[in-house]
Amino acid sequence: MIPQPLRIDIAIENVLSRVGITVRGAVEYTGGVMVMFFRSMRASVRRPFEWRSVVEQIEIIGLQSMPIVVLTAAFTGMVMALQYAHGMARFGAQMYTGKLVALTLTRELGPVLTSLMVGGRVGAGIAAEIGSMAVTEQIDAVRALGADPVKKLVVPRVLAAMFIMPFLSVCTDVIGLFGGMAVSFLEYDIPMGFFAKSAIEITKFSDFFSGVSKTLFFGIIIAVVGCYQGFRTRGGTEGVGRATTEAVVIISVGILIADYILTKLFLSF
Amino acid sequence: MADDVIISYRGVKKAFGGNVIYDGLDLDILRGETITVIGGSGTGKSVMLKMLIGLLRPDAGHVWFDGAEVTALHEDGLIPVRRRIAMLFQGAALFDSLTVAENIEYPLREHMKMNHDERAERVREVLDLVGLPGIEAMKPAELSGGMKKRIGLARAIAVRPEVIMYDEPTTGLDPINTSRINELIVRTREALGVTSIVVTHDMASAFKVSDRIAMLFNRRISAVGTVSEISRSDDEMVRSFIEGRPAYSPSFPPQKAP
Repeated sequence: MIPQPLRIDIAIENVLSRVGITVRGAVEYTGGVMVMFFRSMRASVRRPFEWRSVVEQIEIIGLQSMPIVVLTAAFTGMVMALQYAHGMARFGAQMYTGKLVALTLTRELGPVLTSLMVGGRVGAGIAAEIGSMAVTEQIDAVRALGADPVKKLVVPRVLAAMFIMPFLSVCTDVIGLFGGMAVSFLEYDIPMGFFAKSAIEITKFSDFFSGVSKTLFFGIIIAVVGCYQGFRTRGGTEGVGRATTEAVVIISVGILIADYILTKLFLSF
Repeated sequence: MADDVIISYRGVKKAFGGNVIYDGLDLDILRGETITVIGGSGTGKSVMLKMLIGLLRPDAGHVWFDGAEVTALHEDGLIPVRRRIAMLFQGAALFDSLTVAENIEYPLREHMKMNHDERAERVREVLDLVGLPGIEAMKPAELSGGMKKRIGLARAIAVRPEVIMYDEPTTGLDPINTSRINELIVRTREALGVTSIVVTHDMASAFKVSDRIAMLFNRRISAVGTVSEISRSDDEMVRSFIEGRPAYSPSFPPQKAP
């Protein structure tokens, strides 16, 4: 066979059409997620309120995530203290360690790392649970029995995530600071009182608020994407596995993108 | 005769992607009868049932239930229809996280204003009817396949529906459970006076429970008649299906998308 010469125009067309398909898929997906969110908000104000389910979900999403949150927070604070104390020593500025740990934790790493960890755990769980329901016709059954699956399944998870994520983020901030304080003292002899004082001094309410309020949005992303992935699950157990994996990837990427947009937005105020 | 028709499918078309399921499906179902829809796998038997309560929408055509056009109703408008038409799903579709009693109470909470005692009484009553008294506290994971179907039926009849749809009620069951379910279909009809639509490819079951049988073939209802009419039919497709001869295949004659 004679090798075909590379047609540059065809190659470009192929690349562009793939980009087009990907972009279109992403836009459609984002649209679908937003529609599900707005439908859940509308359903959440319709009676009767599903208090019991919301409380159940707060336990699953929030309390059961506590161990992972505590571990993430403590080690993040500890590692940051190590890095900052080590790095700042080069400038003879080791006393700023507390301030840097506090700012980084409250503004950025506390909320984002917590959300990524909880997102992986909870998002996968939601997608797997609702995905299994979808492939065993349980979601059809909810509708057939006269109920709205968005109200029954999505609303409790979204409300619980919106409520609990900021709370978890505050826990991260506090635990992380303690971790940083302990390491600074043990490794670099920075007095704990000094660390705490400088950390509190530097952190303004707006720093704390911008970090914590971001997690409200991350909570929405975690719950809605998890549910959306679950609802679109097709193709038996294999489909459930795929939906779960995709949920974790999309939630993580979604959190990182949303973090940039929200940080930019908060900085402009 | 027209007054006795409770459900009508008219010119229903449906495709999933490029896969055409129905191309002009028509069927009338009479009040109080048990009609069985037979047909091979993948011919869209369950889709018919799901269309009747608006879980799926046809691409074209109409479905009527007791004078109301189901296909024109929105999700909220479908709720009264779903109160009157219950469905037993193929895998029973019990909610794993709820107990047997909570599963059965689910439609009672959604559709009816009942207090706790009335609900408990109704749960007891339907569990007796399906022959599984006293298992209120069990979870679906603890039940066998046959028991799940019977609980699924108990949940379906809890709201005293006028129509019950059975999606492959005997598929995957052993012979004893199969005949138990068949008996339940007959007994439920006698006890509640309901119209029953059974979708199956189990011919023994079809002959046992039905007044009429409709055959779904070539993307439409290709034959419909009483049990004796169908069993005496000389239509090649009907014969090969009910006799289980290998000549029958869902794709014979070759189906082309229009």
